[in-house]
Amino acid sequence: MTSKANILIIDDNTVFLDMIAMYLTDKQYHVLPAKNGIEGLKLFNSHSDIIDLVITDIIMPNISGTALISIIKKKRPALPVIAISGFGEHPITLAEELKADLTMGKPLVLRELESQIALLLPPPSVSTV
Amino acid sequence: MSTILVGISPGIQKIREIIDLVSLDTALNVVITGETGVGKEVVARALYESSPRHKKEFVKVNCAAIPDTLLESELFGVEQGAYTGANRKRKGKFELADGGVLFLDEIGDMSFHLQAKLLHVLQSGEYNRLGSENNMKSNTWVISATNHNLKQKIEEKEFREDLYYRLNMVRINIPPLRERPEDIPELIRHYTQIYQDKYTERKITPLDPETFNKLCHFSWPGNVRQLISVLQRILLIGCDEETLDEILYDKNNQNKNATDTATPIYGQLMEELQEIVNSSPDNMTTFSLKQIKRNATNIVEKEVISQVLDITNWNRTHASKILKVSYKTLLTKIDQLDIIRSN
Repeated sequence: MTSKANILIIDDNTVFLDMIAMYLTDKQYHVLPAKNGIEGLKLFNSHSDIIDLVITDIIMPNISGTALISIIKKKRPALPVIAISGFGEHPITLAEELKADLTMGKPLVLRELESQIALLLPPPSVSTV
Repeated sequence: MSTILVGISPGIQKIREIIDLVSLDTALNVVITGETGVGKEVVARALYESSPRHKKEFVKVNCAAIPDTLLESELFGVEQGAYTGANRKRKGKFELADGGVLFLDEIGDMSFHLQAKLLHVLQSGEYNRLGSENNMKSNTWVISATNHNLKQKIEEKEFREDLYYRLNMVRINIPPLRERPEDIPELIRHYTQIYQDKYTERKITPLDPETFNKLCHFSWPGNVRQLISVLQRILLIGCDEETLDEILYDKNNQNKNATDTATPIYGQLMEELQEIVNSSPDNMTTFSLKQIKRNATNIVEKEVISQVLDITNWNRTHASKILKVSYKTLLTKIDQLDIIRSN
């Protein structure tokens, strides 16, 4: 059987967060939702070893997505990170500079997000019972 | 570790939480926002002291207190011979804060021209001394503070949007004291203890319940700074109820006026004054009225001469006539006061 990939999703827009979380849960991913940068960083720190991919909004109060990318990439450089923003070119450029693996603008096409996640995730591990 | 964030309110607890989460990664630029007097520098120092950089320098620059013509050389330093009168090499604040923290207070007042230079340092990690072609590596954690609404400044084309996003990786907003009255009793107790420890020979007694209660229910438009100042007055000089009402009422107005009419010179003079006030009695003996007068004169002279030189496009003959000093005196002053021509 294949184990579900763990995806940490951070967005201060709860409508957006719930929408992505529901969609990916439906697609058989295990989702860890966080509704701001502080929550997201705490979840990352406590589940760092089991997270397979991170999706983060860039513009958030207190701890921004760019801060999260910087911290995550220092701790786990190979962990794929998707950065999302609806605030024009500057946040996206900064996220790319900080080595986000993929940047996407809002509004998102969920099917496109799903196909990008599949490309970024390592092949699923197979375990026998 | 000496900086303590005093308070039990959710706002202060959240700030402690953010400091714990981010102070180990000093690659993250931080902006601290809040009204005048809320304690932005206290939070910056708490970040610094929790970080691995605490053994190096914490260097503060007040971007509003230094004329734009001087801020560039203050930040990046000057190479010998960079301009007439630059007869020695001078380190800038970026260099002085190497391995430590550069605290850019009042970042919202920085000119567009310098914002571009700061952006370049943050992007490339390199800068040049004024008059030098050699790139120097920056290893400084930049923490900024402002009481301006930077978003509004972007809309008004007074602040660069790209710099805003780069500085805002972490944002810490300190709520005004009137929004967290539950912190006032602890602040009073904390600073009373500080004065008791500092002035052991004076037998400072805690506030009587009535005064304590009055301070706890005041709105503090000048925030923590005003509370400390009033508390200092009551504890060290003493005052009756009537005088306290006058102080609170006057301070209320004074604070409003100070915020409305603050000028760079005023800010710098107040900083000098604050330094003296914050000194222990032992250190105070090193200050003489003569020295204070000289410092204040230098600050004012530097500002006035800089402005006249700017107006005259650095025509020193013309400037010396306006200032009614000899040409030679003006050149001496330019050298002594480190007045630099902006590009």
